[in-house]
Amino acid sequence: MTDPYKVLGLSTNATDEQVKKAYRELSRKFHPDTNANNPLADLAEEKFKEVQSAYEQIVKERDEGIYGRNDNSYGDNRWNATNEESNEWQKDTKLVAAANYINSRHYSEALNVLNGMSDRIGQWYYLCAVANSGMGNNMEAVDMAAQAVNMEPNNQMFVALLNRLQMGRQRYQNNSAGYGANPSTCGTGNMCCDLWCADSLCECMGGDLCSCM
Amino acid sequence: MFGYITINKPELKIKDYNRYHSFYCGLCRTLKEKYGFLGQMTLTYDMTFLILLLTSLYEPKEEHSEHHCIVHPVKKHAMLVNEVTQYAADMNIILAYHNLKDDWQDEKKFKAYVGSAALKGKYEKIQQQYPRQCKVIEESLMQLGQYEFSNEKNLDLVSGCFGNLMAELFLYREDVWEETLRKFGFFLGKFIYLLDAYLDVEEDIKTKSYNPLKWIKDDENYEEFCKEMLVMMIAEASTRFEQLPCVQDGEILRNILYGGVWNEYNKKQNKDQNKDQNKDLNGKEKVEKNDRSI
Repeated sequence: MTDPYKVLGLSTNATDEQVKKAYRELSRKFHPDTNANNPLADLAEEKFKEVQSAYEQIVKERDEGIYGRNDNSYGDNRWNATNEESNEWQKDTKLVAAANYINSRHYSEALNVLNGMSDRIGQWYYLCAVANSGMGNNMEAVDMAAQAVNMEPNNQMFVALLNRLQMGRQRYQNNSAGYGANPSTCGTGNMCCDLWCADSLCECMGGDLCSCM
Repeated sequence: MFGYITINKPELKIKDYNRYHSFYCGLCRTLKEKYGFLGQMTLTYDMTFLILLLTSLYEPKEEHSEHHCIVHPVKKHAMLVNEVTQYAADMNIILAYHNLKDDWQDEKKFKAYVGSAALKGKYEKIQQQYPRQCKVIEESLMQLGQYEFSNEKNLDLVSGCFGNLMAELFLYREDVWEETLRKFGFFLGKFIYLLDAYLDVEEDIKTKSYNPLKWIKDDENYEEFCKEMLVMMIAEASTRFEQLPCVQDGEILRNILYGGVWNEYNKKQNKDQNKDQNKDLNGKEKVEKNDRSI
């Protein structure tokens, strides 16, 4: 496969913004509409498709880089439930059936199987979390993943899932700086307390924000 | 729609604000031209956001113009219109039509009856042009109605209905961006629905209306829970946004997604805090009076 960064004329450490800009420039240049009267229209269209799939590939790789492979993020990637052959839970045919449904992205069928089970071990919660995540039930997914970790705190697969499910939140908070108004990043959540902090800081610098404090 | 997906004005550059406003005015004018005064009344910020996002993604040809408008009759306003504006106007009418129909059926508001009857013909025309969107919007609203009727408590399920509706709305074209756009719309829809529930919960409890948060309203960590829930939804939407190659107007879009969407939430927080403080003050006054009487 061709190197997607080469297609976009970038180095692998280009920022997300640079990737987007490069994609924009090249897709405009090779877009079928701009090349309708060009004798090389076929070539341009081929190039256009190449640019498009390069962009998709980079986004996917970067997403996996953050989230780790082998998991399913809302059905984006194939989730592989059967990679650890030695696991005890694989003797349970119902859990295996649920895992297979998840692998083929049949999340609601997976949940049907899981809901019909009474023996709820860590793996059960784990699979429930993945299936719910696939269906877009992100609140339920986090609850289930947290429960799985709670039952088996040393299971790295469980911990990784929980982390991944909460990763977007972290990124959102990092990206929010400078746009104001976001309650997850701005101060203590208490206006008075924030004002007091700002006033104290101001006073440290020799000024005074509120003279009454 | 609700109008929660708007800018955080103090943090926006003037040139970006002007551009945002031109799209807003452009949508307003398009609604008026296509659907008359009644259509114009359905104008929302949410749809302006839809225009901005799809314009950034597809970069269609834009038409600039200047017009007078009824709200500001003296000054001329810059307006920006493109093919997405037409789409957003049509989608707005679909939602407005269903909204009015529901109001009529639920609460027998006469105004709503007149409104929905007036929009019916226009709705049927749009339905022929956009059968996919109309079908999903109808189905989602029907499902939502059933959940409300049966007092559904599962927050993922109820908000997911509105998520499905928004997912379909954001899907302007079925192309390579389909999956990402759908998920973006889905989680933005969940955010909007849950924010609306959060903002209305006191009123809904008073009027004995359905609200999925009313069963947990008195929990000790209710406020913290709601904040977490809302951050979770908008964070998922923003993750999908960052996967799209949106460069043009990126700053306006981020100002909305990372800032402006919290405007109403913050307003309520401040109001509730002031209320609490007033309560404390009143309490103190009473104590002082009692002291004197002793």
